[in-house]
Amino acid sequence: MEKTRKHSRHSFRSNTLPAVVMTGPMTLLLILLVAVPLIYVGVMSFCSIDQYYNVVFQFTTKNYARLVSLDYMKIYGQSLLIAFVTTVICILIGYPFSWLIARTKSKYKKILYMLVIVPFWTNSLIRVYGWRTFLGTNGWLNTALQFLHLTDGPLNFLYNRGTTILGMVYCLLPFMILPLYTSIEKLDQSLLEASADLGAKKAATFVEVVLPLTAGGIFSGSIMIFIPCLGYFFISDILGGGNSDVIGNLIERQFQSGNNWPLGAALSIVLIVITLILVKLYQRMGGSMENLGV
Amino acid sequence: MKKRWICFVLALMMTAGLLAGCGSSESGAGDAGELNVFVWTEYVPDAVFEKFEDETGIKVNVSTYSSNEDMLAKVKSESEGAYDVVLPSDYMIEQMIAQDMLEELDQDALTNLSNIGEAYLNPSYDPGNIYSVPYQGGVAAIAVNTSMTDLDITSYADLFDPSLADSLVVLDDYRAVIGMTARSMGYSMNETDPEILSQIEEKLLTLKNNIRLYDSDSPKSALISGDCSVGYVWSAEAALAMEENPDIKIVYPTEGAYLFMDNWAVLKGTKNYDGAMQFINFMLDSEVSQMVSEEFPYLNPNTAAVEAMGEEYSGNIAKNPPADVIAAGEYVQNLDTDTLAVYDEMWTKLKE
Repeated sequence: MEKTRKHSRHSFRSNTLPAVVMTGPMTLLLILLVAVPLIYVGVMSFCSIDQYYNVVFQFTTKNYARLVSLDYMKIYGQSLLIAFVTTVICILIGYPFSWLIARTKSKYKKILYMLVIVPFWTNSLIRVYGWRTFLGTNGWLNTALQFLHLTDGPLNFLYNRGTTILGMVYCLLPFMILPLYTSIEKLDQSLLEASADLGAKKAATFVEVVLPLTAGGIFSGSIMIFIPCLGYFFISDILGGGNSDVIGNLIERQFQSGNNWPLGAALSIVLIVITLILVKLYQRMGGSMENLGV
Repeated sequence: MKKRWICFVLALMMTAGLLAGCGSSESGAGDAGELNVFVWTEYVPDAVFEKFEDETGIKVNVSTYSSNEDMLAKVKSESEGAYDVVLPSDYMIEQMIAQDMLEELDQDALTNLSNIGEAYLNPSYDPGNIYSVPYQGGVAAIAVNTSMTDLDITSYADLFDPSLADSLVVLDDYRAVIGMTARSMGYSMNETDPEILSQIEEKLLTLKNNIRLYDSDSPKSALISGDCSVGYVWSAEAALAMEENPDIKIVYPTEGAYLFMDNWAVLKGTKNYDGAMQFINFMLDSEVSQMVSEEFPYLNPNTAAVEAMGEEYSGNIAKNPPADVIAAGEYVQNLDTDTLAVYDEMWTKLKE
């Protein structure tokens, strides 16, 4: 008996202790930085406010009741629409471009890849403001169009849903290109040859062989674009001029000028739930969670 | 064994050093020689703080905020005495008084208070200036680019004219825009009656077609670049836009404009009350006030400073709104949370 006790103690020492030491700090960090804030937001979303907008720990479901109003629904709908269109455009632009980078044999391959990475070195806010200057009434685009006599007067490009989508596509496109590049790069050339040998035309090879094999890249790219689109309030502020709000704008407003933190927390929970549903859908469609960590 | 001892001594010394480090900064803050000032961004010139430090020897630590609510949240989350002097707007002063957050001002120390114009003293949000004195303010005016519209704009109501479709830049602030709509109909900015609010909502939604851009940070840019022909903007923004583009002119609405005023106040729990009073009195000085106006041309209640700056400044109605505009104007007040929920709903409808 003495011996078995000794043995179990030994095994505790040899397995548990190193495991605790190795994973402990990380677990603690995750609890502190992820779990606690999430719980805090969750709890706050059920809190009330007093007459001075101080958060009071008094249970209420009023915050959620306000969220199901038709007005908020319309903004969720608009937000989902913007995210969907952005994702589709990113696929349409990103796929050929990723294919080009992955498959090119030229010496420019590295340069093409860098073209995707380099914009990240500048803050996205500054780049989005750049678009505003470029598209403005006296911006380069309007000046050029008038110089070429294509238009008589300046056109209004800015401050609508279209420019919001443009900004989203511009900021998020790399998140489509990078996972697609990885999955196209991994594509086995011999499979394409086999398909051709067996008599498939190029279109058929693409639909039957290439697309299914790179679907993982498309899925993970889509999820990494769709979700930020719902929250990128600064793009709809700067390029949409406040005319095409996304869910992120609603949250920002409640934490800032609205000063209603519980309502903002409830809105954040809505965003988290939408995100979870999307990730679940992604998993259902066979997406791997590892691919999201690109 | 020797090594272990050396390690121990070293560790002890380092810990002691750490504690000593904490100690010295603590004692610095406890000195009567420091003042923690919490102000709006882009609102108080650095040169003014330096001048105060030179004159009094009191070291000023400046922190900044960009909204009243932000300031309130930070003050509440910090320990007492983290900030001594704050610069809240009218309605926030009222709210902070109600929450017992402000210290009464020592009226005897405010020898420069006489520089402030009669119209700005004894405000509705702090009768008798017991807790606050005005610093700078503004009027939500109308800026018109006369080369881009033929409409003769004189009032808030004109902003609803169908000919202005897709050409307005307005403040991205729900109280400002809803309040403007209310005033255009002859109501107050602080209506609470649901019946009246639903009328205001109906009118507000007709403005949607005219609004091209919501921008509180720098609405002048859209006016200067010609992206928007008419703006519902702060008078100081209009003043700066007029300097860039002579076609732009400022109009004060006939209905009476939305006013705001930012005020110096001292927080309860301050560790340097005398220094705080010295600072506030210093800010009321006419010369200091001129330094401020030269850099940030907001509405200056310091009549002595405005007079000293001469005709070029006082005659510019964008920088120095006429007295009748101030008299006809209205401040935003705190409303109950249920009413504000209705305002928020209206704003959401406008923005959807």
